[in-house]
Amino acid sequence: MNVKETLTEVFQDVFDDDELELFDEMTAEDVEDWTSLTHIQLIVAVEKKFGVKFTTVEVMKLKNVGEFIALIEKKLA
Amino acid sequence: MNVWNIEEIPQLLKLARRYAKSYVAGEKDVRIAVLGSYSIQHFVSVLRFLLHEEGIDANIYEGEYDGILMDVLNDDSDLYEFKPSMVILLPSIKDIKEFPVLGSDADAVEQLADKQVQLYQGIWSKLETSLGCQILQANFVLPIERALGNLESNYEYSRSYYYKRINAKLEQKRGGNVTIMDMDYWAGVVGKINWFDNSSYYLSKTGFRMDYIGVAAEVFVKQILALTGKVKKCLVLDLDNTLWGGVVGDDGCMGIQLDPNNAIGESYRAFQQYVLQLKERGVILAVCSKNEEDIAKEPFEKNDKMILKLDDISCFIANWEDKAGNIRTIASKLNIGVDSLVFFDDNPAEREIVKKFVPEVLVVDVPEDPADYVQALSLCMPFEWGQLTGEDFKRTQSYLQNSKRQELESSFVNYDEYLQALDMVGSVDEIDEYSKERFAQLINKSNQFNLRTIRYTEASIEQMMQEENTKLLAVSLKDKFSDYGIISCIILRKDGEECFADTWVMSCRVLKRGVEEFAFSHVCDAARSMGCSKLVGEYIPTAKNRMVKDFYPGLGFEEIAENKYGYDLTKEYNKKIWIKEIN
Repeated sequence: MNVKETLTEVFQDVFDDDELELFDEMTAEDVEDWTSLTHIQLIVAVEKKFGVKFTTVEVMKLKNVGEFIALIEKKLA
Repeated sequence: MNVWNIEEIPQLLKLARRYAKSYVAGEKDVRIAVLGSYSIQHFVSVLRFLLHEEGIDANIYEGEYDGILMDVLNDDSDLYEFKPSMVILLPSIKDIKEFPVLGSDADAVEQLADKQVQLYQGIWSKLETSLGCQILQANFVLPIERALGNLESNYEYSRSYYYKRINAKLEQKRGGNVTIMDMDYWAGVVGKINWFDNSSYYLSKTGFRMDYIGVAAEVFVKQILALTGKVKKCLVLDLDNTLWGGVVGDDGCMGIQLDPNNAIGESYRAFQQYVLQLKERGVILAVCSKNEEDIAKEPFEKNDKMILKLDDISCFIANWEDKAGNIRTIASKLNIGVDSLVFFDDNPAEREIVKKFVPEVLVVDVPEDPADYVQALSLCMPFEWGQLTGEDFKRTQSYLQNSKRQELESSFVNYDEYLQALDMVGSVDEIDEYSKERFAQLINKSNQFNLRTIRYTEASIEQMMQEENTKLLAVSLKDKFSDYGIISCIILRKDGEECFADTWVMSCRVLKRGVEEFAFSHVCDAARSMGCSKLVGEYIPTAKNRMVKDFYPGLGFEEIAENKYGYDLTKEYNKKIWIKEIN
């Protein structure tokens, strides 16, 4: 599975924006609707899509989309 | 949108967000404030969307995180500027910071619980005096963790006991304007292991798992609908494979499955028992079945395993016509709106027809297994009302007596003779402590016989009771068949020489019985006693109140402006009145 492609679909779905493209340095600053609450919605959606579970500290430590992809890849490995 | 299906929740959130972006506040929108001790943005957005789906546009004030006290106690807060007509309070169990010391006696625990609840009583009374609003107060959802284990329920100083006392006291101390929303119950229905999302709480202060945002919002949507007069009043039931197993036309009235010693029979009996409970609380029951009428009625009359009797059904329709048409007939026979019906039928094809041709009806998604009927009906929250009163418990009795009344009616050629034979007695009284709840209910539930459709909360009614220039009149009626209690409410306001009928509503159960004329003669007396020489009435048209379009001209009023009418009080009203004074 290409994590970045699948994650892009999740982002596009959660933020309701088909144009949304991911890049490694991307943060909440770059997406209008990315707030602390939609963040939870995003985490839940990612957990469901990839069949993984994140701990609180893993979620807290995420700095950008690149780290998010790396974390998912680590979980799937 | 099925709020119970967690697969649909991401879609719900998306639609809600889209709607929020397109929403433009309108002047007629219901104004609701949501104040909470946890993050409420998602709740607000889903609430606004679900209300919109139900035909209610809501302008919602979203309090700051953990800002209940800040908004309520500060007179200059944005909350008071916003002037909501409803306030939703969502506390968190984490708001409770003081606990009984282990080993304390019961009195100390009670006192501490009282202190906690007094905080809310203070909030309610502040909101009531400043805003006169309805309050929807969520109770506390008891947490999963228990330090004392099983002993929590054995010692009064345990935290669970303490939480339960606080919830019980919220119920006991609620005023007429407060509705307690039992979120502890709903969390229990979902299962608390599912309800709580610990990580999300610590990360973003969410009160519950996102999967249940639809359920949480729906609970409030139903109550808001009730408070804005959109209530369901009647349950329309199919018969074969809905009230009993099998087909009565094939199996015979004794052959249908209702055996209490059979799993299927017991399921149908449990469903009938639940339906009977609904009837006892004031829900009208109707039957709509594809059957020969006499065969359909046989089980009710002859099968002693039946829990529902023919007397419990206020309107019985069994024929071979289509159900959409029959449902309209039921509504008109009962004199209620089609949109106040709930339809329960095991046949998906019939449900689709009703959904398609009578979309105002709430159609229950009946599960395949009759063992699940009770749960399905209960969880779709069909009969959420603003309040229950003595009139509700008497209601179905009076609908039933209607058929006896109709028999009497058909035995007279002359309608006046019939009215006389009913032996009606009535009274028109200024309302008091005991009648004000029913008064509020009738004003907020009546849609058809309602001249201006202005809704008032119990608090504003209490306020009006104190005003010198306002009279609140409640009309009660009894006849030889039943005691209806209060069936009509009128609010009069004196303005100099003029007396304005601010509100005039009546229950459609007593249409064409002369209640209008009876009430009118009392209204004239009341207006004269206030020192007025002219009575003024107004008709504000809505989608539902066409039946009272010509109400004032019918009483002899003259049109003074469009939909405004005047009546000269020096004239004596001399139409025949068939209702005798109770005293």
